[in-house]
Amino acid sequence: MKHCLPFLLSVLLFAACETYDCTLYNYVGMYAAFDREGAKVQINDTLTITSGKSGPVLLNHSVNTSSLNLPLSYWQDEDTLVLSVTGPDYFIQDTIWIEKSNQIHYESPDCPTTLFHTIENVRSTHEFIHSITIMRSSVNYETTNNLQIHLL
Amino acid sequence: MKRLTTCRFICFNPSVLPVVKCRWNGRRVLLLLLISLGVTTLYAQEQQEQQPAIPAEIGVQQSEKAPLLSGIAVGADIVGFIMKVVGSKFANMEVNARLNILDKYFPVAELGIGDCHREGAETGNTFSTTSPYMRFGIDYNFNKKHNGNRLFGIFRYGFSSFTYDIGNDNFTDPVYGNSVALQLNSQKATAQWLEFGVGVETKLWSIVRLGWSMRYKSRISMKSPDEGTPYFIPGFGKNDSNGWGGTVNLIFDVGKTTKKTKSKVKSNKVAADK
Repeated sequence: MKHCLPFLLSVLLFAACETYDCTLYNYVGMYAAFDREGAKVQINDTLTITSGKSGPVLLNHSVNTSSLNLPLSYWQDEDTLVLSVTGPDYFIQDTIWIEKSNQIHYESPDCPTTLFHTIENVRSTHEFIHSITIMRSSVNYETTNNLQIHLL
Repeated sequence: MKRLTTCRFICFNPSVLPVVKCRWNGRRVLLLLLISLGVTTLYAQEQQEQQPAIPAEIGVQQSEKAPLLSGIAVGADIVGFIMKVVGSKFANMEVNARLNILDKYFPVAELGIGDCHREGAETGNTFSTTSPYMRFGIDYNFNKKHNGNRLFGIFRYGFSSFTYDIGNDNFTDPVYGNSVALQLNSQKATAQWLEFGVGVETKLWSIVRLGWSMRYKSRISMKSPDEGTPYFIPGFGKNDSNGWGGTVNLIFDVGKTTKKTKSKVKSNKVAADK
């Protein structure tokens, strides 16, 4: 037993933990809010947002919408968002084009890789959108607003 | 920012076994065996020191003093080479050289190549590097007896300027669906760190010695591209603010560690005659 002691001690000493230090909240989204003449407003009617005319649905039949949280594409240099508002007797659409650059965010082999973005320019049609202001160009893990959408 | 921690190697608390993954891979078992070899060396060394000393010659007082330059040694950390041979996912292969000053101070230079190739089991992410590193520092021998055994206090400054590749062959956009092969090659980074530790060393045969050390490592700086931090720092290990490491060194030590000075003392009989 006496001769086994060094071995046992070394086993105990090196039975340590290996940790994965992955970011727990790893959603990357673009945050936006609506206002009209500086006052916060919401779109009461049904709002649907798609990527382009035939892309994935990013927001489906949302009502009383005052803010948005949308994923951006990983690889495209420009994302096209089509905002469709359906009321009791009307249907209007606006399109937003978001020019951006994409940055790979790699943490480790064991953690999911994601992409951060930098918004470089935003333009839109003007059916119900007056203009758009870039509040924060970096799209990353932070949740503060990137865009302020001013409505007509 | 909250961070998720998953413990994978707790194997001594049965109550946590159901919630952790316990993985004893070949590299870890090998490391344990080598470290236990080192501990056994220490044990043997202590046993050797406990043996009764040979009585000094009657009438002769014997004192030991090490020369200023007591020796030069070169060696290699055999763990790193063995880990590479057995196909470990990472290994630090290093050689070292040192001076022996008064058998007490040992300025050391360690040069090596850090090698890591790893793929995340669930993510498909890959990391790869093969880059050099160097360490400079000093060992202080606490053993005042010049009997060939040494108990060291260790200090090192480590530095590595390295490149690494990261990638993922099937990196998929979860919303838009398209997959792209992600590959970022030759990312450049630098890192500096300090090491503090203890070590033991004993003579095996002639100029051949075996040494073992255990070190606490503290990273003091690292610069890397925004796209991705390195998973592994050559010479330091897994990229973190601190960590532990160890070496099992095979050393070839050339030098004379003791210089015996003899002086006759007058016996009681001679004094009585006078």
